[in-house]
Amino acid sequence: MNKLIQWIDQRFPLTFFIKHELTEYPVPRNLSYWWNFGSLAAFVLVIQLITGIFLAMHYKADAATAFQSVEHIMRDVNYGWLIRYMHSTGASFFFIVIYIHMARTLYYGSYRAPRELMWWTGQGLLLLLMATAFMGYLLPWGQMSYWGAQVITNLFGATPIIGDQIVIWLRGDFSVGDATLTRFFALHYLFPFIIVAAVVIHMVALHMVRSSNPSGINLAAKDNIPFHPYYTIKDLYGLALFLLVYCYFVFFSPNTFIEADNYIPANPMQTPAHIVPEWYFLPFYAILRAIPDLLGGVVAMGLSVVIFAAMPYLDRSKIPGGARYRPAYRALFYIFCIDILVLSYVGIMPPEGNLIAIGQVATFVYFALFCLLPFLSKTEERWLMRRGLPQPVLDLIAEEEKQRAQRSKKQ
Amino acid sequence: MAHDISEKNDAPDDHDRRHFLETATTVVAGCGLAAASWPFIASMNPSTDVLSKATTEVDLRGIRPGEVRTVEWQGKPVFVLHRTDKQIDEVRQSQGGKDPQDDATRVAVPQWLVVVGICTHLGCVPGRREEGWMCPCHGSVYDNSGRILSGPAPANLTKPPYFFVNESRILIGKDKA
Amino acid sequence: MNRRSIILLVSLLVCSGNAIANESVALKKIELDQSPDTVRQGAHIAMQVCTLCHDLKYIKYSNLLQIGYSQEQVDALRGDRKMSDTIKASMAPAAQEHHFGMIPPDLSLMAKARKGGADYIYSLLTSYHAKEPGHIDNHAFPGLRMPDVLNYTVYTEPEERKQIEHKAQQVARFLEWAADPHADQRRQMGYYVMAYLLLLSFMLYLLKRKVWRNIH
Repeated sequence: MNKLIQWIDQRFPLTFFIKHELTEYPVPRNLSYWWNFGSLAAFVLVIQLITGIFLAMHYKADAATAFQSVEHIMRDVNYGWLIRYMHSTGASFFFIVIYIHMARTLYYGSYRAPRELMWWTGQGLLLLLMATAFMGYLLPWGQMSYWGAQVITNLFGATPIIGDQIVIWLRGDFSVGDATLTRFFALHYLFPFIIVAAVVIHMVALHMVRSSNPSGINLAAKDNIPFHPYYTIKDLYGLALFLLVYCYFVFFSPNTFIEADNYIPANPMQTPAHIVPEWYFLPFYAILRAIPDLLGGVVAMGLSVVIFAAMPYLDRSKIPGGARYRPAYRALFYIFCIDILVLSYVGIMPPEGNLIAIGQVATFVYFALFCLLPFLSKTEERWLMRRGLPQPVLDLIAEEEKQRAQRSKKQ
Repeated sequence: MAHDISEKNDAPDDHDRRHFLETATTVVAGCGLAAASWPFIASMNPSTDVLSKATTEVDLRGIRPGEVRTVEWQGKPVFVLHRTDKQIDEVRQSQGGKDPQDDATRVAVPQWLVVVGICTHLGCVPGRREEGWMCPCHGSVYDNSGRILSGPAPANLTKPPYFFVNESRILIGKDKA
Repeated sequence: MNRRSIILLVSLLVCSGNAIANESVALKKIELDQSPDTVRQGAHIAMQVCTLCHDLKYIKYSNLLQIGYSQEQVDALRGDRKMSDTIKASMAPAAQEHHFGMIPPDLSLMAKARKGGADYIYSLLTSYHAKEPGHIDNHAFPGLRMPDVLNYTVYTEPEERKQIEHKAQQVARFLEWAADPHADQRRQMGYYVMAYLLLLSFMLYLLKRKVWRNIH
């Protein structure tokens, strides 16, 4: 075996790569379990890919037979019910993991220099994931699938001048139909492989700037430990815990994540009483509905997703890291989380009565938090410096300044 | 026997306990992976609706004397031949070829021959001839009782289980109701 | 602790979101008898009563063998139709349109296609009442076009009502099976999977602690 590996190593950097990027790769020693969610996301991606391909062996992407083919999978295909429920539950868990992963990044300031590109490739990954999930949801061709797609593709009609043509081009038909379904299936099959490529790019960026850590400050080299065995075993342990929760839903409550209306075949002549997107789109859906104007709502919704990209520039504090040493930033973070929950609630309810006003307030708060950050971060920095930070933090700030200077000198 | 740097400061006893735990965990995880892969492999097997196609009904009306119709049974072609008196006489004059069999044992009623249309040599579907069938792959020749007359095929065409539901209908796949 | 309260908030939202997004229908809640006999008994009633007007387009005659029907019983039910045929309503579509103004919905997925599932079905069957003499309506679904098929309004004695409620439970259980025939197998497998994962998590936890001991 060793001879074989030697033969390969002379022709391909196999051992070098594995040692350098995996087993001996240096990682801060103080990472908490909040750092498990990146590898968890990769695992869920693999689950979705495998279950997706096996579903595609039986699924029919044709409006007349799609719904029936899903029932065929559920009833006739050996373990088809298991593969289907794994895939539908996996989609929701993908978003749970990704949102926690994002929350970790925001809380600990892992988006700050020099990790901006990691943050932006992550943004790109989020957009790819949302597109994949949206297209995937049409495939069962239930009532919610159909009408969710109808509503969201309608939004592109808000584009000035060419809006209507874009919508028809997107759908391949005047309203969502067989043409839409077939192309969404083709793209839904394709996008996960683009996601894999984007994950590789995300990892390449990571291996240059290395992981951040809970203190938010780049540690000295001596405080690193090799990825194997420390984080391999920690990631595996975290994975087992994740699987416990995931499998509970797959085996005992798989219909938690499937809207009842989606067990009714799509009927273009009848809209369900409440059109509800999947839970992971709810906050953005609420923002869309909060603005009375169609174009305004679409712009607000789009902005609410991409505004995260501005974080490295909105946060202007010299104090390193994220919320750990910064009470004002921490408060903003928690307010943001509560606001997301409020928006989710508004999104799932019909837009009536008080909820309209609540949704508008929550939307305003959402954007206000981002707009406040540049001013608040600077004010907080001045206040904290005046009040006096603990010596270790001051040392770390000095260290961080030095490293930043070194980085700009290298440039 | 230290595997990695985390074992640097282990006491010797710890080493053994840890390696045991490593091995045990790997075995348990491996079993889980194997078990988890089974449903995916099994899902590629025929689904229950495909498996349930165990029988095929054939309406014999419309098959004129001398005419043969090929129907599908369990995914296989089955020849249903409405034999003329001349054909019946011909086949009853002999026992066939290298796989001798009485024609009477190969049919439920003399007028109807029902055989699986797969050559017993290497599985091609024989083509219809006046005197019976000929396999295009290696030239096996069968008579109007489905018996092998010449060529490399070792046996007569298989008679599937079937019975007459009524005068004009047969059910292939079962011997009787 | 900050993190825990967040997790609590999120779970509260998810649960309440689900409950609130319900139609504002007061459903009767029932605990269904999980024994296999109940499914079969419900099937008998469904075949006699429900399939007069409703299709069961994802249930084949051959599926009935899985819930305890004998081959003879299935043959008696299907007549000329093949074992692989699905169960169709006895009433012709034209007659359905004429009587109800619509085609009664297919029942194969009804237990999953309505919030409340089996509770929905049970409530519907047992909420009929005589609004005025000669006009029967449904408490849970006012204006419902489906007639009182189990004769809930006819039999008003508590004993008779109990029997009808029992029948309604059996029908609800059958339709629950029809919507998800592999549910029992799924849960069985789930017990083994959860036990395995608990074991594996424990072993990985021990191993993680061992590996990290020197660092701490």
